[in-house]
Amino acid sequence: MQLLLALAGALDRLGRVAGKTVRWLAVLLVLIQFAVVVLRYAFGTSYIWLQESVLYTNATLFMLAIAYTFLVDQHVRVDLLYARWSARRRALVDLSGILLAVLPFCGLVIWASWGYVAVSFRMGEGPMQVGGLPLLPFLKSLIPAMATLLALQALAIALRCLAVLAGRAPTHLPHRGGHGAPEAAG
Amino acid sequence: MSASGLGGVLDALMFASLCGLILTGLPVVFVLTGCAVVFAAFGTALGVFDPFLLRALAQRVFGTMTSEVLVAIPLFVFMGIMLERSKIAEELLEAMGSLFGRIRGGLAVSVSAVGALLAASTGIVGATVVTMGLMALPAMLRRGYDKGFATGSICAAGTLGQIIPPSTVMVILGEVLSAAYQQAQLAQGKFTIETVSVGQLFAGAMIPGLLLVGLYVLYQLLRAWLDPAIAPSIPREELGTVGARRLLSVLVPPLVLIVAVLGSILGGIATPTEAASVGAVGATLLAARRQGGAAARLAPIAGLAALGLALLGALFDMRLGRELVPTGDRAAMAGAAFLVLVLAIGLLSALWSLGRAGVLGRVCESTTTISAMIFATLIGATLFSLVFRGLGGEETVRELLAVLPGGTWGALAIVMAVMFLMGFFLDFVEITIIVIPIVGPVLLAMGIDPIWLGVLIAINLQTSFLTPPFGFALFYLAGVAPKEVGARDIYRGIVPFVALQLLALSIVAAFPPLATWLPRALF
Repeated sequence: MQLLLALAGALDRLGRVAGKTVRWLAVLLVLIQFAVVVLRYAFGTSYIWLQESVLYTNATLFMLAIAYTFLVDQHVRVDLLYARWSARRRALVDLSGILLAVLPFCGLVIWASWGYVAVSFRMGEGPMQVGGLPLLPFLKSLIPAMATLLALQALAIALRCLAVLAGRAPTHLPHRGGHGAPEAAG
Repeated sequence: MSASGLGGVLDALMFASLCGLILTGLPVVFVLTGCAVVFAAFGTALGVFDPFLLRALAQRVFGTMTSEVLVAIPLFVFMGIMLERSKIAEELLEAMGSLFGRIRGGLAVSVSAVGALLAASTGIVGATVVTMGLMALPAMLRRGYDKGFATGSICAAGTLGQIIPPSTVMVILGEVLSAAYQQAQLAQGKFTIETVSVGQLFAGAMIPGLLLVGLYVLYQLLRAWLDPAIAPSIPREELGTVGARRLLSVLVPPLVLIVAVLGSILGGIATPTEAASVGAVGATLLAARRQGGAAARLAPIAGLAALGLALLGALFDMRLGRELVPTGDRAAMAGAAFLVLVLAIGLLSALWSLGRAGVLGRVCESTTTISAMIFATLIGATLFSLVFRGLGGEETVRELLAVLPGGTWGALAIVMAVMFLMGFFLDFVEITIIVIPIVGPVLLAMGIDPIWLGVLIAINLQTSFLTPPFGFALFYLAGVAPKEVGARDIYRGIVPFVALQLLALSIVAAFPPLATWLPRALF
């Protein structure tokens, strides 16, 4: 159990590093899109590669943050009952969810995207539009990358669920919550 | 049982499992993917589902990743959270309070007015409710306001951000609605596909949003006039006076943002995504004013530079890369280059000072997790509807809605009722993402106007933030309310506002031009 918890901790650190790194893409996204606006409306000029880099930045931001969002437990739950349940029961719910929903989903995404990405690399697929970024295969790689990161994060949480069920850990979501600032999308 | 009959049972079971499993508290996105995976497996085993349909998943996810419209989501979220740090909500509340305080129910009216102003500069429900709960609620209680009346006013005002454009959830609504609309037209065999854009939806929601604010204010004044004990007026001498100068300095920043962001979208000048980035930059400059130091002094100058740049862009032809440039344009371009430099310095120093204070990191963190949550739910729902449709679910929904009495109106009414009930447990984003792909194509194929439908859905789903046990607005307010305010006061207080909401829904349902006139006039 010690070993498994250490493994979970290592996977968590990976997820945290990924999340804490990609979050800065939010600023980059604002700056690039604003630059596009200034160039277009003040100087009547637009570059397709710059517009595409907005899409690339946004896609990278959210695809690589889906796993991290699970780690900090910010995927919306209906916690009407969940919030009142014991830590053991919550761990049981999340463990079943990971085994029945998260891991098969990750497997499915990898299965469905593997050929899609491989073909793109093999053919050396060009940009989406003429004058765009020639990085399309890498953009498509974000799909299996998202699934892989999510699977690893789910594994870490599942291991901690087991620890909770065995009475070796108080909670399976120790990194829960951001900063206490309530920010429902609006 | 025939194969198609079996599919008909499986898709119904799939939807029932979705509703049931959501209550276990598993994240909604995983309930969606879990139901999809399990029922795809069942369907395959029973020979009523073709697993190769799932190959389309990669292409669909890629479509979500490269949607230009959806980029507006992180940008609007960033803008909203940054705006919260700029404290304009606090300043507005103070100014409006002293402006309206003398009339009965005046503090409640000022809460509605501030809610509307924040909503028009992309209000975020949680942030608005919390800010008002911390500032306006204690003030109202001290003045002897009824607890329910005060809390109801705050929760309702906080949710105006959903309906009054620009709003993040309307971006999502616009995207899924336009997909459903295309599907409906394809199914009817139309070759020239009409589209519905987020900008049109924003325009459609404008008048109904203002109608709602009007209803709130009317109700507040009427209640206070009939029963002065629940919302007494404040004696003139106890009110701090607010000078015209102060009022102007408080009102100008949000008004500039509203004109720049909302104005450019409704004017058809900029796309919502483009306008959102301008809003995000504006909010960053406003937040930097709070940090002190050089950045605070540079922020207003950078804001002026941005305005100057917009003006120059409108007056002169400054296209880059022309061979011959007239002298006037050349001078304008030199001026513009200087303004860009000023703007860049101001913006970077604002980001730097916000970064050092740790504010920027927190804003990015929230932007990232909220966006990831929304996009993950979109992807989960894509998979869900892929399987649901593969099992023949769309056919089942069409048959179900067709046998209802009342034709189109009956179908619309039942969908609205289901969405309203779902609002007790889920919120706007999830309901939109789950329900519209399922019922949208069927309803739109019946000839319902997509903008009108979108606005009706938006007004209806605004109640999802207000209905217990799972109204986000109630939840957040309960978190910050003083101890003497109980959950019962909050629940009691929200009832009249939910009723007003349903009244607005019926008004817009009865008079579709309220939603459809403005978009037709503008676009």
